[in-house]
Amino acid sequence: VRHPGLALAVALALVAGAPRAVDAQQPAQAQQPAHPAALPPRQANYAWDGDLLRASFSYKDVLADAALMKKISSGLPMVIAMRAYVYPEGQDAPVALATRVCRVAYDLWDEVYRVHVSEPERDRDTAAVLDGVLRICTEARDLAVVQRGLLVVGQPYFLGVVVDVNPVSPQMIDQMRRWLSRPTGSTAIGPADALFGNFVQLFARQIATSDKTLTFRTQSVVP
Amino acid sequence: VRRGPLLLLASFAFVLLPALARAQARRTWGATPDAPPPVSQAPPEPPPATLGTPVPGSTSAPSSPPVAEAAPPIVRTPGAIGLKYTLEGIQVRGNRSTLPRVVLRYVPFKEGDVLDVDDPELELTRFRLLGTGFFRDVQLSLRRGTKRGYVILVVDVVERNTVIVDDIWLGIAANADTLGNAQPLGPYGGASVTETNLAGTGIALGGAFAVADQQLALRARLTDPNFLRSSWIVEAEVLYSSARDLFGNSDVLVIDPTQTSAPCPSASNPGSQLSSSYGRCSDYAVAQYKRFGGRLGAGHDLGISSQIFLDYRLEKIDASMPLAASDHRGLDVEPIDFMLPRGSSILSMLRATFVNDTRDEPFLPTRGHRLEGTFDGSMTPIGSDYPYAKLVLRGSQYFPLPWAGHVLHLRGFAGAIFGNAPLFERFYVGDLSDLLPDRALDLAFDRRPAPNYLSTDIVEIRYGNYAAKVDAEYRVPLYRGTRSVYGVDFFGSVGLYGLANEQDFSTPARGYTGFATWPIDLTFNAGLRVETQVGGFVFGISNLVGLIPVRGQQSGAALP
Repeated sequence: VRHPGLALAVALALVAGAPRAVDAQQPAQAQQPAHPAALPPRQANYAWDGDLLRASFSYKDVLADAALMKKISSGLPMVIAMRAYVYPEGQDAPVALATRVCRVAYDLWDEVYRVHVSEPERDRDTAAVLDGVLRICTEARDLAVVQRGLLVVGQPYFLGVVVDVNPVSPQMIDQMRRWLSRPTGSTAIGPADALFGNFVQLFARQIATSDKTLTFRTQSVVP
Repeated sequence: VRRGPLLLLASFAFVLLPALARAQARRTWGATPDAPPPVSQAPPEPPPATLGTPVPGSTSAPSSPPVAEAAPPIVRTPGAIGLKYTLEGIQVRGNRSTLPRVVLRYVPFKEGDVLDVDDPELELTRFRLLGTGFFRDVQLSLRRGTKRGYVILVVDVVERNTVIVDDIWLGIAANADTLGNAQPLGPYGGASVTETNLAGTGIALGGAFAVADQQLALRARLTDPNFLRSSWIVEAEVLYSSARDLFGNSDVLVIDPTQTSAPCPSASNPGSQLSSSYGRCSDYAVAQYKRFGGRLGAGHDLGISSQIFLDYRLEKIDASMPLAASDHRGLDVEPIDFMLPRGSSILSMLRATFVNDTRDEPFLPTRGHRLEGTFDGSMTPIGSDYPYAKLVLRGSQYFPLPWAGHVLHLRGFAGAIFGNAPLFERFYVGDLSDLLPDRALDLAFDRRPAPNYLSTDIVEIRYGNYAAKVDAEYRVPLYRGTRSVYGVDFFGSVGLYGLANEQDFSTPARGYTGFATWPIDLTFNAGLRVETQVGGFVFGISNLVGLIPVRGQQSGAALP
């Protein structure tokens, strides 16, 4: 081999090119409950609106934490995102998903809470006092869940519910963890230069996916 | 050329003086902790009476309340919260040692800005502050300003321990005495520690040492991640090493008038002996050298995932070594190149580094890649006695596997040196093989050659100008936690590496033929990777496995 530099360059191109075949930056999907049937039970009320199944249930305890109650009045927005997955009894794969997102911020000068609610059928803005916020943002009332046509008649179904307070998107978490993990100023190259590398790594795991997560399942309903 | 030390001192003064000035400034800021913010359900607390001036214990950004303007309306955007205020000031609370201005560096708002509560920069600000590593918790909130429509942004922080263990080296290595005679196994060790928030200034001060038999290396480093409130990272590092290295493979002829020892058998006629005044025999030829110098560097972000660093390094080297020495290379006897000139010399070097890092986590990544390219240039016009150029490229890719969090990690490394680089800048076989101790702070601890599982002439090479390595690592998660221990993974890795000099390509060592003329070897390791609250640790078995001789090669004899 008379041109070792050239040989190295070719080898390097092969090494660098190989990983490109796989997209490693696929954002993670929102986490579904791994074992929804095993979630703590909670009562829900079901009603059929024609062919549309509606459900009502409360998740007020998601804000039971004093720190969250403090945060809701911080003047900055708080997001309470609820996902209700429809599962056939005995299965872990959902057949439908209904979501409800409440975004609330305290208006410092009007001394009311400004609330924006997004549901499958409607978006609405309102102003409320704290009790009203808890009612609007932590209770699902006649939530449109699933059309009867998607369900098997006679098969029992239940809702697996995930409520996140201030959820952070997977893309944002990835971005922040990368940002946190960068070694500050490290120019480390060889093993001998590993000094001071990556000390910020220690804090990367502080990035949680939300301020709080509440999960439960409801009793079954048979279409 | 000999003005290097003066240049070094001047450079350090350039960096150190502003740092000292900052430390002095801290005394005048005098931040003390404030009470935690009021409970949320209470009406907003009234604004402080002296906004616009630093309040002891709860310092605000400079802010002067408007006096004559009409109060702006509070804007609300349909379809969102849509609240917008005018920012009257920024208040920092809970900082016991961190200077308020250090916190304010990471807050991209200023007095008079229109603050949209839906602005994602507010949440990013919290992450930025957590990312400094100075705080265990960061919360942002608003409170009323002095006039309708005005608010004060309150940043509540909870500080944390900022002393970090960066690295620990501990192992055993085969050594040699001062005359180069092989010695039994001996220990080596070292550690690197950094205070990431020195006196609350946000400047990092780090120190490291490595020690082994007759070797010592010290480092001290200062890093300002926001130099002059800019987005530039600036570093200064001072280094000292008293080091030695061993050359040859157990049958070395050394010409050194300062040393006397038993006469050496003649290579051509083992029955006869060379004069003791001509030379002596030993297992290894010993080169001793001292380094003193420093580095100045600056870094900058090139987007979210990329950074560039520029460094200048200047150091003085004093080397002491035999007048000459020779060793077997294959079937021939050749002179040893110590890769350092005798006496004093100067290394003056510029380095550029590019890093692209998309890994999801730094210590136990599951996806993403890390690419790194470095170019070193050491030239006579910038005062160096070592004219050379060095190019190093590294790449890592992590693949999440579909079952239970398993991860496949592929790595590649390649490097080339063109010219006359000093010994410690060359590629070292121990850095490539997991079965020999890596260098720590540029100290080489072990006298042994490569294990040579493939029976090639890699066993003849300790330092090289060309190096390459590919390896694959498989990781299996064993534990995940959220408190002291964040994660424990079992790992196993296997790879192939090569190390060569020009002559290994043009005139391979005589006595090796065919595949044996390729200076390559296998490497492998297995163990645990543990990520904890105080740092990440690797426990591998390769250091111990490497002590098992391959096919009876006790001392690295290099004949095929």
